[in-house]
Amino acid sequence: MPDPTMANAAEWKPQDWSDVPKWLMPRPVQEDREFWEGAGRGELRIQHCTNCGRHQHYARMLCSHCGRESLEWVTASGGGTIYSFTVIRQNGVPPFNERIPFVVATVDLDEDGARMIAAMPDLDPASARVGMRVRAAFRAAGDEFGFVDFTAAE
Amino acid sequence: MQRPVCIVGVGLSDGPVTPDLSAVMLEAQSFRRALDDAGLEKDDIQGLASAGYGGMHEVALAEYLGLTPRWLESSSVGGSSFEFHAMHAYRAIQNGDVDTIAIVYGNNQLSASGRTLGTGGGGGGGRGGMALPRPMTYEFPTGLTLVGAYAMAAQRHMHEYGTKPEQLASIAVQTREHAARNPRAMYRDLLTVDDVMSSRLVADPLHKLDCCVISDGGCCIIMTTEERAKDLGHRPVYVRGAAGGTTHHSIASMADMTRTAAAVSGPKAFADAGITPADVDMFAMYDSFTYTVLVVLEDLGFAPKGEGGAFVTDNGGNLRLGGALPTNTDGGGLSCTHPGMRGLFLLCETTRQLRGEAGDSQVPGAEIAVAHGSGGWLSTQATVVLGTEAT
Repeated sequence: MPDPTMANAAEWKPQDWSDVPKWLMPRPVQEDREFWEGAGRGELRIQHCTNCGRHQHYARMLCSHCGRESLEWVTASGGGTIYSFTVIRQNGVPPFNERIPFVVATVDLDEDGARMIAAMPDLDPASARVGMRVRAAFRAAGDEFGFVDFTAAE
Repeated sequence: MQRPVCIVGVGLSDGPVTPDLSAVMLEAQSFRRALDDAGLEKDDIQGLASAGYGGMHEVALAEYLGLTPRWLESSSVGGSSFEFHAMHAYRAIQNGDVDTIAIVYGNNQLSASGRTLGTGGGGGGGRGGMALPRPMTYEFPTGLTLVGAYAMAAQRHMHEYGTKPEQLASIAVQTREHAARNPRAMYRDLLTVDDVMSSRLVADPLHKLDCCVISDGGCCIIMTTEERAKDLGHRPVYVRGAAGGTTHHSIASMADMTRTAAAVSGPKAFADAGITPADVDMFAMYDSFTYTVLVVLEDLGFAPKGEGGAFVTDNGGNLRLGGALPTNTDGGGLSCTHPGMRGLFLLCETTRQLRGEAGDSQVPGAEIAVAHGSGGWLSTQATVVLGTEAT
């Protein structure tokens, strides 16, 4: 039986995720509109705590590190490091079923305390590794909003 | 005065494939079988716990079963919900709030939904068009699946400790060996590590055979006071300790993907029971994925952190009968039964073992057993220590 993994590896090409189906569009709520709008204009917006100095993603009312109501929005540098990743080779939901295989990573942002899950549509799955330096890449989601993907930075 | 608490009834519905039975029919069938096993009737049941179907399910279930319980519990924290239920039932009976409680779960996951659990996107949180709770709104557009979330945790463990995919695969192989002895198991043909390694990768590093099955099935356990238990038919199985906890909801917020809340719940439950990991004769662990077993073996102290892979494979396989810690002797979620959530089945199998009723899969002289549930995205963990009168 052919090894589907190897077949995938041989045929892999950078992927175009620019087409965003309507049902995948962000639906901002009061506290995270800033994140989605920021991504729409090419900025990675996260929360910084003026009490403890740490950061967080996703947006919340209180700092998840110290519990205080002392948060401000800042623009992250976009730099980060892969804490871990996987290669998605099965996903039954369109359009992801047509995009497999692709890398999804947990990225520790350079701003202390902030971590996010992101797709890496242009990374060859064979190149992904823990500790890899990455940077944010923005992808439009309609006219107002955007998604934050990551791309290799080394 | 704190009253000792026992499990006196266990019931399994038909399974693992029951296209003619709905979820609540499976629940009712397992409830009736647990009553029969205990030698009780429905009006002996004063408390009811269930989870998995949203608001007021346990109330609807009480009505369906013709019960009017005065103690209700519906902690719904994923697959470990039922270890939380057992913990809360243990305390309620211990403290004299109520005497006899049934915990019930059933689902026709396979027949109703097919084999898509865990690869439907959204970290398993939902499908297209559905309003998702945060933080899943951030994960869903990345294409992450539930399997992918566990895979990332496994990948981190491999990175930090050099754990090998073959060591994870060995967990599936040893669990299948248990399933081969169980006529109720979904898959019973023996596996090799090569079989697991050459099965399709679903989300690196997890292969298809690193993932639990999807089945139908229901389970019920009945707990009561020691005093009542001694009047009933079976060797009483005692709840000796229980504890639970959570570290995160979504996988992105799991600060250390190589350490779960089991590192807190385990020591607390063991201290409650006055035991150490070395005292445990057999283990029932929510094996959603092979990695779930490996990381919790470490967190509970059966192996030092980072050495779970070696523990699993040492001694010809420590999870086998005759190994240091026979684990999931019914064939587990990996090979036997996994109807959406498996936590309750762990309490059933440990009870059977401590009664000496496990047949070909009996761990000789089992006196202390641990049932450990893991739910969500390694999010919720709960440990229940069971013993016999001798312990």
